[in-house]
Amino acid sequence: MHIALTATLILAAAQGGQHDMQGADGKGGWRMPPMAPEMPTLPGLVGAVPPVGAFLPGEGLDAAKLPEARPSSMVSMRNGDTLDISVSLVRRELRGKSYVMYGYNGQYPGPLIRAPQGATVVVRVTNEIDLPTSVHWHGVRIDNRFDGVPGVTQAPIEVGESFTYEVRVPDAGMFWYHPHSREDVQQDLGLYGNLLVTSPDEDYYGPAHREEVLVLDDLLMDENGLIPWGRESPTHALMGRFGNVMLVNGQTDYQLDARPGEVVRFYITNVANTRTFNLVIPGARVKLVASDIGRFERESWVESVPIAPAERYVIDVRFDELGEVPLLNSVQAINHFRGTFYSSVDTLGIARVAGEPADAQVSEAFEVLRQNAAVSTEMEAFRRHLGRAPDFELETSVRVTGLPLDIMRAMEVDTLYVPPVEWNDAMPMMNWLSTADQVTWILRDRASGAENGEIDWSFAVGDVVKIRIFNDPDAFHPMHHPIHVHGQRYLVLARDGVPNENLVWKDTALLPVGSTMDILVEMSNPGEWMFHCHIAEHLHAGMMFHFSVVDEESPPRG
Amino acid sequence: MIWIHLLGVAGAGFCSAPAALPAALPALPPPPPEYYEVALVSTGRVPGTRQAEGTGSVTFLPSPFGLAVGPDGSYRYEVRVQTERMLPPERGVYVAWVTTPDLDRVRRLSSLDAAGMAHGTVEWIQFLIVVTLEPSMNPEAQGWEGPVVMRGVSRSGMLHTMAGHGPFQVENCGSFGFN
Repeated sequence: MHIALTATLILAAAQGGQHDMQGADGKGGWRMPPMAPEMPTLPGLVGAVPPVGAFLPGEGLDAAKLPEARPSSMVSMRNGDTLDISVSLVRRELRGKSYVMYGYNGQYPGPLIRAPQGATVVVRVTNEIDLPTSVHWHGVRIDNRFDGVPGVTQAPIEVGESFTYEVRVPDAGMFWYHPHSREDVQQDLGLYGNLLVTSPDEDYYGPAHREEVLVLDDLLMDENGLIPWGRESPTHALMGRFGNVMLVNGQTDYQLDARPGEVVRFYITNVANTRTFNLVIPGARVKLVASDIGRFERESWVESVPIAPAERYVIDVRFDELGEVPLLNSVQAINHFRGTFYSSVDTLGIARVAGEPADAQVSEAFEVLRQNAAVSTEMEAFRRHLGRAPDFELETSVRVTGLPLDIMRAMEVDTLYVPPVEWNDAMPMMNWLSTADQVTWILRDRASGAENGEIDWSFAVGDVVKIRIFNDPDAFHPMHHPIHVHGQRYLVLARDGVPNENLVWKDTALLPVGSTMDILVEMSNPGEWMFHCHIAEHLHAGMMFHFSVVDEESPPRG
Repeated sequence: MIWIHLLGVAGAGFCSAPAALPAALPALPPPPPEYYEVALVSTGRVPGTRQAEGTGSVTFLPSPFGLAVGPDGSYRYEVRVQTERMLPPERGVYVAWVTTPDLDRVRRLSSLDAAGMAHGTVEWIQFLIVVTLEPSMNPEAQGWEGPVVMRGVSRSGMLHTMAGHGPFQVENCGSFGFN
């Protein structure tokens, strides 16, 4: 068992005072993730390494011979336009060192695709990395054939092969694309990009001086580089792979220049494998505008933006005061060894506010919290489902077999308190040693007892399905889960029995430990669709199933 | 146009029960998370409360994110205190409070109503719920004056140190900076 650290502390350890590797260094290519110097290793785990091979991309390749990755660029596409995307090995420069990583079109993040609502754009993807891949268009109610799930909607794109996606974008909002094939590795190594779908309504959002994209991520590194990933199956199967280096738009030193009074609209996406961020911008007013698939019924002032993996939020921020304004990740982390909480604050980036004041009209309009009557009107038809019993009930659990006895004992001891959300890797070595071969995360249908892939749900287009999901705190070692539904949109109607008075369409929502979440899924899009936890390692540890939606007026092809 | 079409298709099913699904039943809302309930235990110091029992249920405050969390990362909860097996006080009023484990911050939740219930909010990562017998009902009170009737600790208060015991009992804690 090892204590949690702030990323800053971990990085400091990585740069000098890190924990003794105790024999793990170099064993089968493994290096143990850096930990606090004060933290002992469980006696039975000295020298242990994960029971899978160690994987690093482009092994044997000289990073210097690869093209240097570039920051993301925007690609504006119209209906029918085609974009070629190559998935390739790139050289990334992080903190003055070069690393072999992945990129979409050699960029970090991948190209920001901008398309008008209602368009269909064509994206030809060619795989030039060393693993099979695919592209999932997260949150998009896309034609099922192009959902990008190997084994469900397509065969994986093998090395050297291509696949052409027709991406239909019926909803306005900020979406993203990423692999659905070993995303614990590929996404972590840089394969993610945003898809911004713009509404034809010029008044869709309130006025802002400009728009910026914030893609939040983290990477797990030590002084020798990237900590390897599991070759045959993911490591970090218990809690997911937390990084110790924070990235905004793929950079460790994100900076933004703003003018006094400037209103900046930030489209935020969390692409981390497992880390939930709590974004704070002290000294600036923050207005919450929209989430995954559209606007809230009502805008609201917020003090922070907690955002789980795969979620998106749109916020308007007004920078009033001159000087430097940090963008922080501010959480209450856990030190398991000392048995304490501590404030963990990482600076994700800096906004520098200087120069002439921004256009006052927009600054003043920022004061208004908009009521989106059209959204509320649409929601009324769905809100009536609040009063009825759920159609299905799911509960979460976890099953662990074959982990070292010391880990099992420590996990059992460590059950007096389980936090609603794991904000940090509070047990890095145990987590690192656990693989998807030993840990099974479970979604269980309470009525049938079916688990994960055994769940066999079928719906018709037009069904509106209420699903109650309970995150069982009495599971062996529970954890929160960001629940993602492919191809449809859903509402979080209530949490722990408390109705949600400000609805917004979601495709991913966080389910804390011990909580019950009632979601209402609008089955509008026919096909075979995934339902899963979006912690990459939990997904690979089994926490998924697929369901079918049949268009009875238009039977499926083939 | 695709957008409009989809809305139309989906809209057909909004108001009717899905044909392939179980018939809609009256909903029983799930209870607050039992796991995070705070068990309140009598101090036995106040006449008529020796057998008193109680719980403090905690539910996230309404938040557009679902998860109510402040800028310092602490959760923000609504606390509902339910007590029973307490006789009405001969003098004074029962009041529920929350306080940090160090007792350096105290917040009055509310006085107990006729049903023995109180409620309020808390935004500390670890906290105690305390019910006291106060000489008067003073909504502005900054802290309690009377004897403690019941108390309980938030589940987060059970976060325990592993230093020097359990799997680490053979470790020399001093070598890791602990006394």
